[in-house]
Amino acid sequence: MSDNDQKSVSRRRFLSVLGTTSAGAAVLSGCSTEKVEKLIPYLVQSEDQVPGVATWYASTCTECSAGCGLHVRTREGRAVKLEGNPEHPVNAGKLCARGQAGLQGLYNPGRVKGPMRNSGGTWTQITWDDAIALLAQQVGAAGAGLAVLSGAPRGSFTGFLADWTSAAGGRLVRWEPFDQTPLRLASKRVFGRDEVPSHDFAKAKYIVSFGADFLDAWGPTVEHQRGFAESHGFSREGGMAKHVYFAPRASLTGLNADEWHAIAPGSEALLALAMAWVLLGERGIAAPEGAPRVSLEQAAEATGLKAEEIARLAKEFAAVRPSLAVAGGIGSQHAGAVELCAAVLLLNYAAGNIAETVHFGSDLDRGDGQAAFASLQRAMDEGQVKVLLVHEANPVYAAPRAGKFGEALAKVPFKVSTSLYLDETSSQCDLIIPGLHALERWDDAHPRAGVWGLMQPVMEPVYPNRHPGDVLLAASQKAGGVFAKFSAANWEAYLKARWAAMPRPSDQDASAFWRAALARGGVYVPEPLTPVKGVVAGAVSVEPPAIEGTGEFTLLPYASSLLYDGRGTNKPWLLETPDPVTKITWHAWVELHPEAAAKLDVKEGEILRVTSAHGSIEAPAYIYPGLRPDVVAVPMGFGHTEYGEYAKGRGANYLDLLGPASGEFMPYLGTKVTVERVPQAYRKVAKTEGNTRQLGRGIAEAMPVAFAAKGLTVEEAAKAAGHPRHEINTEAEVEALQGWRDGQVGREDGKGRRLGNYAGEHPMWGMTIDLGKCTGCSACSTACYAENNIPWVGEDQVLRGRELSWIRIERYWEGGTDGEPVEARFVPMPCQHCDNAPCEPVCPVYAAYHTPDGLNGQVYNRCVGTRYCANNCPYKVRYFNWHAYAQKAFVAPFELQLNPDVVVRARGVMEKCTFCVHRIRGAQHTAKITGAPIKDGELTTACAQACPSGAIVFGDLNDPNSRVRQVAQDPRGYHILEDINVRPAITYLAKVVHREPAHAAPGGEEHH
Amino acid sequence: MMRKSALLVGGAVASGLAAAVLSGFTGATTQQDPAAPAAPSAAASAPPAYTIAAGDSAFLKGPKQPILFRHDIHAGQYQITCQYCHYTAGYSSEPGIPSMQTCMGCHLIIAGADSSNQKEISKLRDAWNAKQPVEWVRIHYVARHVHFPHQRHVKGMGPNACATCHGDVARMPQVWEVNDVNNMGWCINCHLERKVTRDCTACHY
Amino acid sequence: MAVAVHDAPTQTHADVTRDVVATLAPATKGYYLLLFGAVGLFLIGAITLLLIVKEGLGLAGYQPPVFWSVFITTFVFWVGIGHAGTLISAILYLFRSPWRTAVYRATEAMTVFAVMTAALFPIIHIGRQWIFYWLLPYPNQRYLWPNFKSPLMWDVFAIGTYFTVSTSFLIFGLIPDVAAVRDKATGWRKTVYSLLSLNWQGTDNQWRHYSRAYLYLAALAAPLVLSVHSVVSWDFASSLIPGWHGTIFAPYFVAGAIYSGVGMVFTLLIPLRKYLKLEHMITDYHFDNMAKLTLFTGTILFYAYGMEYFVAWYSGNTFEQTTFFRRAFGPGWWAGWSMIIPNAFLSQLLWFRKIRTNLTSLFVISIFINIGMWFERYVIIQSLANDYVPYAWDQMNPTWADWGILAGSFGWFGMWFLLFAKNFPVVAIQEIKEFIPMPRKRAGGHH
Repeated sequence: MSDNDQKSVSRRRFLSVLGTTSAGAAVLSGCSTEKVEKLIPYLVQSEDQVPGVATWYASTCTECSAGCGLHVRTREGRAVKLEGNPEHPVNAGKLCARGQAGLQGLYNPGRVKGPMRNSGGTWTQITWDDAIALLAQQVGAAGAGLAVLSGAPRGSFTGFLADWTSAAGGRLVRWEPFDQTPLRLASKRVFGRDEVPSHDFAKAKYIVSFGADFLDAWGPTVEHQRGFAESHGFSREGGMAKHVYFAPRASLTGLNADEWHAIAPGSEALLALAMAWVLLGERGIAAPEGAPRVSLEQAAEATGLKAEEIARLAKEFAAVRPSLAVAGGIGSQHAGAVELCAAVLLLNYAAGNIAETVHFGSDLDRGDGQAAFASLQRAMDEGQVKVLLVHEANPVYAAPRAGKFGEALAKVPFKVSTSLYLDETSSQCDLIIPGLHALERWDDAHPRAGVWGLMQPVMEPVYPNRHPGDVLLAASQKAGGVFAKFSAANWEAYLKARWAAMPRPSDQDASAFWRAALARGGVYVPEPLTPVKGVVAGAVSVEPPAIEGTGEFTLLPYASSLLYDGRGTNKPWLLETPDPVTKITWHAWVELHPEAAAKLDVKEGEILRVTSAHGSIEAPAYIYPGLRPDVVAVPMGFGHTEYGEYAKGRGANYLDLLGPASGEFMPYLGTKVTVERVPQAYRKVAKTEGNTRQLGRGIAEAMPVAFAAKGLTVEEAAKAAGHPRHEINTEAEVEALQGWRDGQVGREDGKGRRLGNYAGEHPMWGMTIDLGKCTGCSACSTACYAENNIPWVGEDQVLRGRELSWIRIERYWEGGTDGEPVEARFVPMPCQHCDNAPCEPVCPVYAAYHTPDGLNGQVYNRCVGTRYCANNCPYKVRYFNWHAYAQKAFVAPFELQLNPDVVVRARGVMEKCTFCVHRIRGAQHTAKITGAPIKDGELTTACAQACPSGAIVFGDLNDPNSRVRQVAQDPRGYHILEDINVRPAITYLAKVVHREPAHAAPGGEEHH
Repeated sequence: MMRKSALLVGGAVASGLAAAVLSGFTGATTQQDPAAPAAPSAAASAPPAYTIAAGDSAFLKGPKQPILFRHDIHAGQYQITCQYCHYTAGYSSEPGIPSMQTCMGCHLIIAGADSSNQKEISKLRDAWNAKQPVEWVRIHYVARHVHFPHQRHVKGMGPNACATCHGDVARMPQVWEVNDVNNMGWCINCHLERKVTRDCTACHY
Repeated sequence: MAVAVHDAPTQTHADVTRDVVATLAPATKGYYLLLFGAVGLFLIGAITLLLIVKEGLGLAGYQPPVFWSVFITTFVFWVGIGHAGTLISAILYLFRSPWRTAVYRATEAMTVFAVMTAALFPIIHIGRQWIFYWLLPYPNQRYLWPNFKSPLMWDVFAIGTYFTVSTSFLIFGLIPDVAAVRDKATGWRKTVYSLLSLNWQGTDNQWRHYSRAYLYLAALAAPLVLSVHSVVSWDFASSLIPGWHGTIFAPYFVAGAIYSGVGMVFTLLIPLRKYLKLEHMITDYHFDNMAKLTLFTGTILFYAYGMEYFVAWYSGNTFEQTTFFRRAFGPGWWAGWSMIIPNAFLSQLLWFRKIRTNLTSLFVISIFINIGMWFERYVIIQSLANDYVPYAWDQMNPTWADWGILAGSFGWFGMWFLLFAKNFPVVAIQEIKEFIPMPRKRAGGHH
């Protein structure tokens, strides 16, 4: 740590106490009144930084290559919260969990602080001038030996890298582990279009996914989820699309399907073609000539499904249009992935979905593919590469070790990394010129045709690092020669110059265009969609893919929706947020089907050794019903050997089991493994779920689409389905409660006694959550972490069930027993803010009480910590600070991300969801000053704001025209545990399913 | 919230921030136009300020400040309104403290009537030239578990809003804490008198 | 009167005084070993508490949704212990039951120390121990009062009252005896005893006032036997946790309290009697009667347990049913059975007079009673582990910190009791004398 960077950190601190009493750095000490001694004024106050008032900047998210638009909330010059940019065509104001956690990349203690030189394994801090000089000298000498390995294209900077390397006659390889090469190659083969098409889920009335995890980590997930929620979310007018998922494992996407069919790995292509033939028959269209003939029987035999089953699905698929078939997910990226994608493109073609729901011309962001990467590695091996610059890529971790990239890297004389963190690759480099985080730099992103997103520095860099562009430009000037032409003063100037050259409306000059773009977060024009001409159906072969190795199990490594390819693993929020499917936090696991587990006599938590031809790893078992018995599934993203304290040494990297990538892409699903139990080895799985069944308690309700369309209530639906005992109140119970209710909390008509002041002069805050839309993606939980300064507690505390997740996503299994299909039900569970709250009367000091506007207030500084409120809460949504979690978690510079509007809770106090009371109060202050009342929709909670499905609605239940009031009156609406009469302020809308919902019989519980 | 309108263009903030943050950053200062001095002519009617040499300030009430800033001269004699310097108090929960630039807006020209004042003002100018912010000693401090929205109180309580809590600063050569702003009973009394909310989550959240 | 005393001791007033005062003779090694043991345990508890205050309650085995755990368990356990004392010393006094005389002093002391122990727990178990006084209603500038609707508030008052009354009852009852000891004592002890004896001279006047006042205090203490533990039971009964929310709780808890209390009396008195050689004063007759009391309350518990299960089944309430199913067969089954077997079944052995009068068997049973009753509370708390929302279920899982505090509480209690036993008459001299026929000749040397 140089003295230099010490200063830069203290600058942040100084910012954070600018004449404010509640700056994050300070809030840490929670309920203490010890004083900040000094007030330090600005020298010059910038017009847009007002202490105590948030300033918003538009930017672009760089956590994956989807390029979602951001609105960054800053306070006192610090970014404190990321939200989606409503104007942005990709995410339209929404943001996923990974995007929310972007802040933790910015304030990560693992960040490299200033340039460093690697001399024989020991890193020494050097000055920027030295770094640039060194770089210039090396680059100048490299000539054609210059190579750049970058992540997926980002926009202008990738362009700059291309020019820059080609100037020296070097090469640029853009390598993204999860790029969609198979889909691109398939498009090329079938339609002669060398590009990745985009998919419009919103329009599709019938969605079939062949292992494409479009809700987990495949492509622009937020965009997919928005569309999926639109088509698959039930509405009485529009009905509801059906979603069928074919894959060996039910991912989050699979759990959100109406039907999941666990087909044999590698059999998807046959299935797709068989369906295509049925569809052609149904619609009476001639097959495109040359299309390989596949009979239902062939498909049935390969997949393990029944022929009539396939026929039924194909007919359903044929019956509606537009429909959508997708393929190419990481989880089923096997050697035959291109055939699979091609087959599915044919299916879409036959169904007439091309240009309806499958769009060419949007040219999604992508890399150059495995082939280019391999050839670069070969060049490195042969010593052709003199200088290698690694930018936004971590191949040493993200490429299978069997590929021996590390060895090749070692052969390169001089390696430079622009990485912000000391990851596996940069730690093997000779020089690190740490770049800037997206929130600290000028940059742009071009994720797809028609979208140019901008990034701007929303705050001073946390560490004295520089944009690689600045460094390379400076180095180019020093090096001169072929690089002399890169003469821009700095990266900002270069970028602006590029933008000046962009086509723009005639009435705007360059700077106006630039400023307008900055304000909107970029430039968005309609995608230049281009129809396909002709189809080469013969291009599809149906050879089942080779799966190498021996062993009874096929290894299925899948992309974790939180950790992605492992770049999320250094962010505590993402580690503490439970995996949406398994609910496991902080460590890696191996998924086994119950049958397989029984065969191996393995119970949850017992350590398994998974061995392939290439290696062997050990991890605790997790018994997962959503899996084929002949497959073991493992999450990617764990097992870092570098990459900061949070990522290091956490679980195993399953890529170590895979063979080297051969051909044009990485066949993740391509290895057979043997699984054995390590005797006596056990590790309690740190999952947040207690019992996996709801025992017929009517917590996560569901009803068939037919009933929902009729507008039946949950109770009527249950009756209609002839359930032995339905899940919520009988009329008798309701009647019995009514009188008591009237006395206790007043009547609907406002008469009688009311808790709080609900007569109308105050708002009555309430929420609705549509389980038909909720996919369980956990974006809301992470958003809540960010908004409310919730500390992460770490694995050992999660093992004690002490996580503080104010809105947790409960996941219950339905069915799964005696042949019934497994159904997952997701229930976001924040504080229900009951009118008749059990937590309030039991608090001896009134720390828990009811506010006039219908909230369950929780006064942290009054709380003495008797914890009776938590005991008495039927929803168990109160969380206790057993230790000084916040002080432990928010180590510098994490404390800078704290939201100054929210008190950081001290040890020994109870905390819980507040309905973002600070936002409510803030809005009320503004309303008071401006005199304009709060309009419905302009005030919302962090979870509702983030939810990519728009499942959560927040507002004033006293306002008859508010959206929340209207949604709450939906016939599907119900209250969890209604019969204990606590009168929750949250109305859930029952999930709608395309079949009779599996019904949990009471007592059918699983002990854990 | 008024996010749309607040959406800003980076150039300004980058430089503005830089100015705020990086001592020794030039250029940004030129970008801002220095606020013109606006001392009301009503000065005559105000009581003439007596002279206090820096040395005497030790005998004054309240903690000793790095610069003997005379509220009694600025707010009293010249009747400069509080929000001329503490201008965010009107629309932010935080009153803020005037930037050095605000001081220099006047003191580029005004050098002080007598030697003691000149001495103090020269301290300010030195600091400004050295781009070193003056580190004022904090006097009023509300505990961190309390949220005190200044703007609402300023709006709701009118002209005497400030004095209600901070005392008659216009008569203070050196500011001291007139009321213990951490005394909740004191807050509650005021809220009782004015019949305004006593809901806990009005301040504690 | 004399009939009441079965094996009427052929001893004079002087003997009684002598024998009892003899119990205060300089202590033996054994006594000091016990005392040091107790103090040692107490220190363990004290250190644990320090660590908890420093590091946080997280050191203990709380595992949400189980937000209360061993601390509350132990709290209720100690409150319960107290009750037998008050029952024997106050209620049986009002009923003029003769067999209490020999034992009530020891049991009353036990009560006071048990309540002293219990009173520590409301402080130990809260998250911010340093502001426990916020639980007390005191005028303050914030206009804030505690919430009198909260059962935890009622607790504070119940325990406070119980402590005050039983302490004054004990000290008051001691007066004549302390006086007797005073007359035998020398040095600083004499001064202390003189102070405590409030210059007791045993005049008729003093006796008249004394017996009246004692009666009133007894009358005051009597209802507490019922009220205190009822209030404690409402900590649970007034919540909506399945397994807690039961109308039967108050009587169920009171019976349990007396049951556990008498159990503790056995555990303490049987060794004490041997050690202080009081066999001829505390006789089988007394133990027999106390055993009958145990049998009675034990049988009530038996009924209560049965009734809980019946109601759970009969109500058809799935939440109740799950809770009680898991109590017996869930992950915490072992705790469930360690409550039912000693309390419901073992107590039934006391139908046999042989067992009632055999001190060894009584002692063994009493140990099991203590264990069983501690587990009863543990099991009740465990209802938290699986309430309404299955996703949140988890098991409670105590740690060294829990055991540290538990040990400390026993140490703290034992310490006080041992000190008392050595410094004050554990048998009421005066009341024993009341049962001795007046001697024909005046026994000299003592009024």
